[in-house]
This record gives sequence, structure tokens and C-alpha cells, in this order.
Amino acid sequence: MINFFRKVGFGIKPDEKVPSDPLKWAQDQITNKIPEFSYKGKIYAEKEMRKFYREWVYNDRKKLRKKFKKDKKGYKAAKNKLRDTTGKRFWKNLEIAIRHKEATSSDHPVLAKLWYFWTNHFTISDKDQLADYSTGAYHREIIRANLNKTFEELTYEATVAWAMILHLDNSENVGPKSEDARADWRKRKKRPATINENHARELLELHTVSPNSGYTQENIQELALIMTGWAVDDSKHKTALETADVKFQKKYHEPGKKIFWGKEFPKGKKGLPAAIKFLANHPSSSEFIAYKLCRYLITDYPTKEMTDPIVKAWKKSDGYLPEVHKAAIEVAFRFNNKYTKFQNPENWWLQMGRMTDAKWPAADEKFDNYQLGYGPDPYQAKPHWFMEDMGHHPYLSKQPNGYSDLAEDWMSPELIIRRLLYARQGYINLKPDNKNNEFYEKVVINNFDNPDKIMKLLNQNQKPIDKHILLFNLPEILRA
Amino acid sequence: MKITRRNFLKGSLATLFLAGSGIPVYSATNAKKNLVVVMLRGGMDALCAVPVIGDKDLKKRRKELILDETIKLNSDFSLHPTLKGFHELWKEKKGAVVHATNIPYTERSHFDGQNLMESGGKIPYKEKTGWLGRGMKVAGLKQKGLALALPMPLLLRGVPQNNNYFPTKGKLPTDKVLSLLKEVYSESSEDELIEMLEIIKSRPKERSYAADDLYSLANEAGTLMKEPDGPRVAVFEVGGFDTHAAQGGVHGTHSDCLKDMDLIFATLKKRLKEEFDNTLIVTLTEFGRTIKQNSGLGTEHGYGSAIFMGGGLLKKNQVYADWPGLKKKELFEGRDLNSTIDARSVYASAMSTVFDIDFKTMKDEVFWGEDLQNLSDKLFKV
Repeated sequence: MINFFRKVGFGIKPDEKVPSDPLKWAQDQITNKIPEFSYKGKIYAEKEMRKFYREWVYNDRKKLRKKFKKDKKGYKAAKNKLRDTTGKRFWKNLEIAIRHKEATSSDHPVLAKLWYFWTNHFTISDKDQLADYSTGAYHREIIRANLNKTFEELTYEATVAWAMILHLDNSENVGPKSEDARADWRKRKKRPATINENHARELLELHTVSPNSGYTQENIQELALIMTGWAVDDSKHKTALETADVKFQKKYHEPGKKIFWGKEFPKGKKGLPAAIKFLANHPSSSEFIAYKLCRYLITDYPTKEMTDPIVKAWKKSDGYLPEVHKAAIEVAFRFNNKYTKFQNPENWWLQMGRMTDAKWPAADEKFDNYQLGYGPDPYQAKPHWFMEDMGHHPYLSKQPNGYSDLAEDWMSPELIIRRLLYARQGYINLKPDNKNNEFYEKVVINNFDNPDKIMKLLNQNQKPIDKHILLFNLPEILRA
Repeated sequence: MKITRRNFLKGSLATLFLAGSGIPVYSATNAKKNLVVVMLRGGMDALCAVPVIGDKDLKKRRKELILDETIKLNSDFSLHPTLKGFHELWKEKKGAVVHATNIPYTERSHFDGQNLMESGGKIPYKEKTGWLGRGMKVAGLKQKGLALALPMPLLLRGVPQNNNYFPTKGKLPTDKVLSLLKEVYSESSEDELIEMLEIIKSRPKERSYAADDLYSLANEAGTLMKEPDGPRVAVFEVGGFDTHAAQGGVHGTHSDCLKDMDLIFATLKKRLKEEFDNTLIVTLTEFGRTIKQNSGLGTEHGYGSAIFMGGGLLKKNQVYADWPGLKKKELFEGRDLNSTIDARSVYASAMSTVFDIDFKTMKDEVFWGEDLQNLSDKLFKV
């Protein structure tokens, strides 16, 4: 039973009292109010981060490339300087530190685990400079901040988020009969306006109803027409480039009422919210999300018995996420003894961090002391480096479907080598006073139903580092 | 020149479809033969990589994406100028292309498509093994697969003890810790983990340098495959082909991706040296892209694409195609290059040739006896 704390919340800290009612402990963390971050250094608003992004692209594109047109070496040096004056190598480390602290130190690790689920669901994959400046902020302000809303509200916020619009090219989605389609330059350059299907396709396939719902290519194009006009504000393009706010711009919007999936949708700005309302409340969305939640928390191939209570809670609450989450946690609790889930690298790493009260992420001051104009120091650089090396960087997934939740996708010799190497790193992260037998006893008693057996195994090694590597590669730890 | 399906069929490609099926193919040599598969994720645009020369429909629909310089392959097709390594192979008759081909998947989802291109099936996520892994199993090729990637691709799954290479720095635990772990995994029936520990035990105990760029990966793959008892199968991944906006022409995003693919071909040739003559490289993608550019100067998800092939096991340099044409009525659903060859015929034939297993067995055991054509003696030296 005790593995439930790891399954939904990264485990119990060495000095933490094991809660007597695990389900209550977990569900109490899902509240109607989103708690403040545990990180107490400065947290930058998404808009502020976009200013750094803007500074990078504007200075590089509009100034440096022109200034150093014939001086390759000079351009390289100036670009390196710009990299640090805009903090390009630092921000993702800070964001990961904020993210990871929620798992390792906060009093609401269950919410953290669910937050990670949704950041992967509404993935921003590695594109342009998004990982360097914006994805972390998007995860905070768009995903986490809306986990106390309905799925419909979260989907709308994620869809019109600046990072998502840029990620899935919706600024390029222009109505063929829109005002812009009739622009002189288009005639002159023979460049007719067309839709861009990318965002519409992923809104259907990845974010809401999934292919199981049976939509067609025609439906994708219909939705793309509804989405025309939702683009980066191009009136600011001269100085802001692609970093201006997202705004509905009528001139790009396909005029008239739209038919999508056999239903009529309003023209203009009201079209997209109406389409999202329809999609988010479609039965396929609740089934898809329930299945994904069970796959994330319980087992690779969930059963209907697992998904049904979540779908039921969804229907009862109109997709209110705290209720959906509570239902998912309850199902995970019910099936806890029967199923264990192979933990992905990030969750495994954070489980080790929380269970051992390790120095991960480094103290807030280490990040708060960062000075613009410099690269990150070795401490400040670790979060990005470690997560990339483990193959599970939260801002660098290769494709918009995010990371897999299947055990087999996390099993290869190289991935298992990472577990062995990063277990060693986990030992290095321990507080100096904790590198002894008594400490491991506390860790094991707090987190395992069979502490004697595990301690006997660990004690076959003399060195604490060997105990540590062994402990965090035991099947009981790899799965939860 | 404007090519039509008719005169294409009259030309050197006509025989492609006359190849018999079910004819056993036997090994001509006992030399170790290698198969390399390069997965091109995101939808490789075959009309950008291997454009048809002088086609008015292509020019009309791709005003900004049309290449203003190309490498001429023959009277009908040219090559993207970034593919210099591939062109060298072509000149040595060790490079060829199958054009207007794809897996039988028309729904245009990357993720369903990528799952199917690896599994070889028709229903997304139904199969838990890859066509290459199953093919290796048929050929009894255990411990002979190498993925140059951090995860183990679905494509290779289905045969035990495949290896992967994507190095990182650090020190592995002591043998004692590894042995204890193995004992614990045995008690818990963690068979896959036991299998991996076995492989890990043969790895260097400590690495202080690790490079995981494509050149380094291809270099290592070539070095290992050159060994007589080294891997016989290698799998690479190149991503980023999904260019919905600013696709570029001679330069740009799609060109950069092609360059990555080209680097793998060129590096393997360089590293494998004479073993390259016993090697076959084939590419794999989930779909092609629309013939028409969109207003963001990108292309949308399409259907037909192309397979690049390299290595000394190729019969000759040739663009093989049953060319469907690019007029609107000839396009798939009026928008995409059609696929006239099931790409799985090429892959089944490639495995039949490299693994020395008769085509019918490969077709039946790997592709559930589906109606695939034996192209082995047309495309490869058998």
C-alpha cells in the first residue's frame, strides 16, 4: 500500500510522518485554489519572458545579421554575447527548478504529478526558441494556473496561448476568402491565402477527441477555417516580430458561419470557443483523457473498469478538473495493489529527490543569484543538462504528442544506463549528514511495505553509494 | 519534360511490377550483410527531395518552394542539391530511389502514421513489435540489432537483446551492484531489465567523453557493423520534416533535415569502407506532403513519398516508380502525390535480400501474408 505515495506523489520524505489515510492525503492536495509555488526566488511572468525572446530574435535578425554581414567571426561573438544578455542558457534551468521543487519539497506533490501530466498532454515540443524562453512559463501560467478550471477552459487557454499558436503555426492559418486573401500583395506575388491544418489537426488528435472519435480530413479543414484569425498580432510585427500577443484578427478570418462535423458554428471570434466547447464536452474527450490519466498513473493498458469512474466524475462535474483528478486518484488507489506503473525518468528522478530530501533542485538562492549577461554556473546549468541527458527534458520533446507513457518506450540499454548513472548523481545530491545507514533505514521504512527485506539487500554493500544505486534501481522503485 | 505514366511504364521502370512473388531468393555469398534503416519523422517531402523535372503542375503549385538548383539524376528526376553524399553514391551506382511510394496509410496523422511505418500494420497501436524486429526474428538474428537512439524504436522490437548506442558520460556501478540487481530482477521476473543488464555489463565501465550528434552515431554504427560479429541491423532517426511553415527550398528547414539524412549515408559509406558493398540502407517515413504550398510557405500532411536507398547491395542507380502524375485528378484526394508502390514491398524485399530468407516467408511471417510484391531481384543484388 505504501507505494501509493510514490505512485501519485513521489514518496515520503525521511522526516515526514507517513499519513494514515493515503487516499485522503492525496485528494486533499487537489483543491479549488492552486497553491503558490514552493520556489521563493523571483518568478518571471510569461510576458516578461517573451520580452527576452523578443530581444533575442530582434537583435539577432534585425541588427547583428546586418551589422556583421561580412564578418562571420564578429557575428558569432556578438551572438554569444546576446545569448547571455538575454539569459538564453539560463531560463530553462530556472523553470525546471521551479517545476521540480513542486515534486521534491512542496506539500502538494500530487498536484505536481498531475501538472506534469497536463504539460505533456498540451505539449510544446522543441521548436524555435520556445524551450529557451517560454515553455516553462507556459507550463506555469497556462497549464498549472488552470488546473482548477474545467477541461474546456484549460483547452481554450492552451489553444490560444502564445506559445501554442507559435508552436502549431496558427498564425499562418489564413482564410482563403478572408480580407487578407484579397490583399494586393497576394495578387502581385501570386500567393493565395490558404489554411494551415497543423493546429486544427492536433487540437482534435492530441488535445481533445483523439482519432478514436472518427473525425475526417474534411473535419480538420473545417476546424482550421474556424481557427483562422487567431494569430500573433501583426500590427506589432515591426518591433515585436513573432513575440506579440495573440489576438483574434478579423482580416485573416474566413467569413461566414461554419459547418464543422455536421454542426453550425458562429463566425468570427466566437467560433473557436464554441468549437472548443463542443470538442471538450464530446464523449470521446472524457474517454481519451480518462484513459491517458490511468495510463499515466496505473498501467500501460487501462481497463474500462478503471476509466469508467473518471468518465462518470467528468460527466457529473462538466469536466471540472479537480473532480476528474480526484476520481483518477481514487481509481489509482483502488488498483494500487494489483498494478504498478513503470516510472518515466523525470518522475523516477524526482521520487529519488523527495524520498531522500536531496539537494534537488539546488537552493532557491542559487538560481535567484543569476546575473543577466553571464552563462549559468555549473549548479544553475544542471537541471537542463540532466533532464536532456536522461532523455526526458520537459521542454524538449521531439514532437507535439509529447513523451510516451508506455514502459517499453523507456526501456533500452542506454536508458537503463541513465538510471544507474543518475542514481549515482542522486547520491551526490544527498545532504552530507545523510550518507549513512540510519538515513537509509528511515528512507526505506517510510516508503516500502517490506523494509526488512530491502535493508537486508542494501546491507550486502558496504559503501553508502552502492546502497543508494541499488535502492533506486530496485523494481519496487522503478515501478510505483 | 512532361512525363506521363504511360511513357514511364514503357521505360526502364516497366519491369518493376513484373517481378514475381514467392520466388525463393538465395544468398550468393556468405559475407555478412547489413541492413540500415533511417527513419525520417514528420513526413518527408519527396517532391522537394527528388523533384520531377519540368512538371508544370509542380511549378504552378509550389511557386516559392520550387528548387532553383538541383542535381540531375536522369531525364525525369533531379535531386535536392543538399544531398551531396547521396549523389556520390548515385554516381557509383550505389544510390537509388523508389518514388511515389508509401505505407498503406492515408489518414495523415503523424503519430498513427509513425506507429504504422514501424509496426508495418494497418491499425495504429495494434502491433507491439516492428517489421524489422519480426524480420530479424525470422532470420534468427538475436543480439544483432543496434538503434542509434536513446529509446528502443518500435521498429526493432520483436527480437531479443537488441542494443542501442547514445552515449553519455559517467561511471557505471560495480559488478557486485550489477549482480545484486540481476538477482533481484530475476526474483521479480523483470526479464527485459535482466536482458539489458547483460548488455550493460559489456559496456565500458566509465566514459569521460560522449558525443551523440548524428555524425558520431553513424561513425560508431559503421565501426561496429564492420566487425564480423558486430550488429547486422542499425536504425537511425532524423526528425523535423514536418514543415507546415517556412519549409524553404534549396536552403531551409526541410533542406536541413535532408542534410542530416545525407550525413548518415555519407558517414556510413566512409566508415564501412569495403563492407559498404554488403550493406543496404533504406529510409522510412510516415507520409509525404501536399504538392501545393500553403500561404505560410510550408506544406501540409500528404500521402506518397519516396524511399532513399544506398549501399553496394543495390542493383543499380535508378529512380524506380510507377509514376502517378501530378495533375489534380492524379493526386490522392486531389492534393497529395499518390502512392503506387506499397513501401512494405520494398522493406520485405530488402530483408529477404539482406537476411537471406525467401520473400514469401518474410511476407507471411512479418507482414501477415499481405499482398506485397517481391522486388528483390529488381532492386537488389541477390
